[in-house]
Amino acid sequence: MKNTLTPTCLFLALVLMCMGCSTKAPLNTASEAAPNPVQYFHVDPATAGEVTGKVSYAGPKPTPKKIDMSEDPACVSAHHGKAVDESLLVGPNHSLANAFVYIKSGLEGKTFEVPVTPVVIDQSGCWFHPRILGVQTNQVVKIVNSDPVTHNIHPMAEINREWNHSQGPGDPALTRKFIKPEIMIPVKCNIHSWMRAYIGVLDHPYFAVSKDDGTFQIPNLPPGTYTLAIWQERLGTQERQITVAPGQHAVADFTFKGK
Amino acid sequence: MSSATILKTPAALFPQPLRSRRPIPLDRLIVPLLTVLSLPLTGCRAKISEMPAGTPITIHPPLGLPAVPVPVDNQPTLQTVALGRRLFYEQRLSKDNSLSCASCHNPKLDFTDGRRVAKGVGGATGLRNVPTVLNAAYLPLLFWDGRAKDLEQQAGSPISDPIEMNQSHKVTVAKLARDPEYRTMFADAFGSSDITIGRVEKALASFERTLLSGNSAFDRYRYGGDNYALSPAQQRGLAIFIDPNKGNCAACHTIDPKYALFTDGKFHNIGVGVDDEGNLKDMGRYNQTHVDSDRGAFKTPTLRNIENTAPYMHDGSLQTLKEVVDFYAGGGNSNPYLDKDIRAIKLSGQDRADLVEFLKSLSGDLPSNAGPTEKR
Ligand code: HEC
Ligand code: HEC
Repeated sequence: MKNTLTPTCLFLALVLMCMGCSTKAPLNTASEAAPNPVQYFHVDPATAGEVTGKVSYAGPKPTPKKIDMSEDPACVSAHHGKAVDESLLVGPNHSLANAFVYIKSGLEGKTFEVPVTPVVIDQSGCWFHPRILGVQTNQVVKIVNSDPVTHNIHPMAEINREWNHSQGPGDPALTRKFIKPEIMIPVKCNIHSWMRAYIGVLDHPYFAVSKDDGTFQIPNLPPGTYTLAIWQERLGTQERQITVAPGQHAVADFTFKGK
Repeated sequence: MSSATILKTPAALFPQPLRSRRPIPLDRLIVPLLTVLSLPLTGCRAKISEMPAGTPITIHPPLGLPAVPVPVDNQPTLQTVALGRRLFYEQRLSKDNSLSCASCHNPKLDFTDGRRVAKGVGGATGLRNVPTVLNAAYLPLLFWDGRAKDLEQQAGSPISDPIEMNQSHKVTVAKLARDPEYRTMFADAFGSSDITIGRVEKALASFERTLLSGNSAFDRYRYGGDNYALSPAQQRGLAIFIDPNKGNCAACHTIDPKYALFTDGKFHNIGVGVDDEGNLKDMGRYNQTHVDSDRGAFKTPTLRNIENTAPYMHDGSLQTLKEVVDFYAGGGNSNPYLDKDIRAIKLSGQDRADLVEFLKSLSGDLPSNAGPTEKR
């Protein structure tokens, strides 16, 4: 049966080849202008300042809610100990962890180099680590599955492209990028409904996540006047103007009212 | 290979004579018609008849499978099937006499090779996972991308494929012709001792049409009236498999009222093989049709004997049935050409465990008279 096809194919191939030689002489494309090299902004260490602060929660300390993983027994054993809801992490002295603090405006016109080290999200114990993370546009986000179960990570981006990807036990890390600034991209696992993370994407390196004691630090900031913004997954956003004088240290504390 | 004793039974193959010809589907008729019309093009080749000779046989499908479609110009006979069986285990079909069809379609692994992707002559790495040839007789198109239209056309291609057996048809024919035993077998099967690649292909195809596997626990439950053939977990799994609002698996892995092939024979993009940029690594069916919606679409594989044919998917990327079910539960990998029937489905941990149990109920009886034969 196949043999009957051969002559036709040969003929077609010949026709194609002839068409090929009559039209296409190799084009010289070397004359294309080299694109202008990007001018990256570099902070002058002599004048760089920083902003630090503490984030507080004025309401009653929430009682930690237990997360039920019994739906996937492998997750129960992988989590080692009990999993509790981390959407509002209040520590001693009203300190509020896991708030995302970032420069919202004031850096316009500056282009920052993309860090070469990737940001890592680990899926471990059927939980995302970390829960809140910042990344620069085009910086590599490395997604690791350390669990004995399959996860399906799903960043529900609106400005960037939304995608989801299956990752079985032992599968290699995924490396993905977000190309546009977006605050914040909620991340879920399509298989384990309780898994949740948030990614803040910025086109500069001036962002931080408040630590367990509520403090944050944004160093190496060029002097100037900025809008500093804060986001917390349950409490919403706040903004304020700050001015960083050359070589100076600005302080910006935030308090979220209880709900 | 010689130790596949379970499959070796000396009895004659399917001794029933061909009593009544089953109606032959239209598409099976068109192919031979075209062949006849284009005969003048093949010139001198046409002088050697490739019509089977010998004792016609009827292939009896096991419980759960429909009648086997057979092309008019290749009705199976005892002799063509026996020749095809011999050829299936023939290492001389490969360039360095190292590989037979069975090297990749090993009867002990339900006619697969257990590898992620195939390994050809000289260790050449293939691009795709080896599918089983069990029940391939029912497939309207063969290969993951459907590039062969029947078993006859399919059979010649691994022989000459550089990353498989890597031997030109001319050399294959010459090698076989040097063996007097083959000349006798070809004479018995086709009426003259001439060896042509067309005869080789027809014999292999006829043998493959006997490689049927059914009468699984599922078949006994669904078609055999045995209500206890499936465990309670498997019965729950079957319900999830069929339910469009749960597993929705039967949308593509079809179950018919009288038989089940577990494949619609069509091509779907279920999100396997998406790289870090979100692009498809293998365009699959699109390479044959150049229709946009076929990008990343692959043939729905049968799920019969699935427990024994790991790893899974066209790229062998999933290791276990649990991983496969979890892959579907999460909605696969997003890409612009994902089939509309693939979406994150709400399946509890119990549902997923039940589905896996159900898939294990699809292991059927293996065909007898399918293993390697002793030299006569
Ligand atoms: C080097 C390993 C290798 C050898 C040897 C080999 N095959 Fe295959 N076979 C494959 C792979 C891989 C595929 C799937 C390729 C694809 O779809 O692109 C396949 C596909 C098939 C299919 C199609 C099944 C389906 O579901 O579509 C059949 C039938 C088949 N082979 C029969 C044979 C026969 C007959 C021989 C001997 C002449 C043979 N194979 C030799 C690796 C092999
Ligand atoms: C839209 C059609 C479609 C639906 C719905 C679907 N499948 Fe599939 N299935 C396919 C296709 C196509 C492949 C091969 C994909 C590939 O390799 O790229 C496949 C592959 C598989 C495999 C691997 C087979 C092998 O030999 O490698 C298993 C197991 C499987 N499906 C089970 C299921 C189960 C269980 C469900 C329901 C949860 C399901 N499928 C739903 C089309 C479908």
